Amino acid sequence: MTETIAEKTDEELAREARAGSRRSFDELARRYKRRLFVYLRPRLGSDEDAEDLVQETFLKLYRNIGGYDPAFKFSTWLYTSASRLAIDAFRRRAAERVAKVAETDIDVPDPSAGPEIGSGAAEIWEAARALGGDRFRVLWLRYGEDLSVEEIAAVLGRTRLAVRVLLHRARTSLAGRLGPDLRQMPEAAAAGPAGRD
Amino acid sequence: MRCTISRWMISRAEDTGKKLPGPVERHLRRCGACGEFARTATTLSSRLRTGRSAWLAEVPDFAVEIGPEPAPRPEGEAGTHAARRSWLALRPLPVAAAALVFAAGALVLFQLVLKEPAPTAEDRASAMAALRAITSAPAEFQGVVGQAESPLDKERRVLENSFSSAVEYLQARLNIRIERREPRAKAS
Repeated sequence: MTETIAEKTDEELAREARAGSRRSFDELARRYKRRLFVYLRPRLGSDEDAEDLVQETFLKLYRNIGGYDPAFKFSTWLYTSASRLAIDAFRRRAAERVAKVAETDIDVPDPSAGPEIGSGAAEIWEAARALGGDRFRVLWLRYGEDLSVEEIAAVLGRTRLAVRVLLHRARTSLAGRLGPDLRQMPEAAAAGPAGRD
Repeated sequence: MRCTISRWMISRAEDTGKKLPGPVERHLRRCGACGEFARTATTLSSRLRTGRSAWLAEVPDFAVEIGPEPAPRPEGEAGTHAARRSWLALRPLPVAAAALVFAAGALVLFQLVLKEPAPTAEDRASAMAALRAITSAPAEFQGVVGQAESPLDKERRVLENSFSSAVEYLQARLNIRIERREPRAKAS
């Protein structure tokens, strides 16, 4: 019985992409583009910048797919590359912003501001994103991507202890923000399928 | 302080899957705030996991264009550089032996094929003749020496004239006679 492309794991697809399968790589891009978008979006100034960075990340991955080691999770490799590119992009934009502000007295966009996206089951993630920076990122990698503390440490270039501290602070902040509303939020199962997009 | 530690242990248990220590569990039974934090942490994790799909569904879709890039390396070639490095690092003896064999081969090749033959007696004679031709003095060398001497003669003549004038002046002034004595010939 042959396995359809949608049933294959990320690592199987990455192995096929490394062997030259463009179709497998496209499937990986389809699975991860939105997930990468929500991860990168708070760090950048706009949706367009986040989309550009997602595009840039996949392009870089496609060029370097020969360097992928199937012993590791594909998502760890993807998020590590994306994080590095995001840091570069953030520095570039920060420099541009400084130059722009020096030229004209314009309002600088708030990097923590994101698109207005929904409520209900997704509300908890809206609140998580409002935490901003590293706290949102560790929550996303832990609960959005199901990465272990070790894998998150590898992606963010931090120690395991630093990641555990960040997770603890993020949970405490999020619990403080949501408070008693947390238990009254609708279950996501009712809002849509739990499968990976 | 106890609450801070307990909450840290709750978070740690959430991340590592380890069971809470006995003292912390006892504290949770006594402390309502920490008990609430433990329940919230569990609820938070499950809500974040289940809310993920709903949140992603609300993100607007966009296309990812990879473009006509060169095809990636085939499976067999993947990670060739890393594999080569590790092979060299893990097998130093075979690598050293191969290097020695290669060096010996290169030496033999140099001795047998590339090295020039020793010069013959004729070659040596012609080389010596060429050397002599280069080092011998040219025919006009004496003429050059003669030309170099002429300014000295001129100088001597000028000095003799000056000296004669001075002698004549002294003779006239002092009313004396000065005679020139020829140098004696060297005894043979």
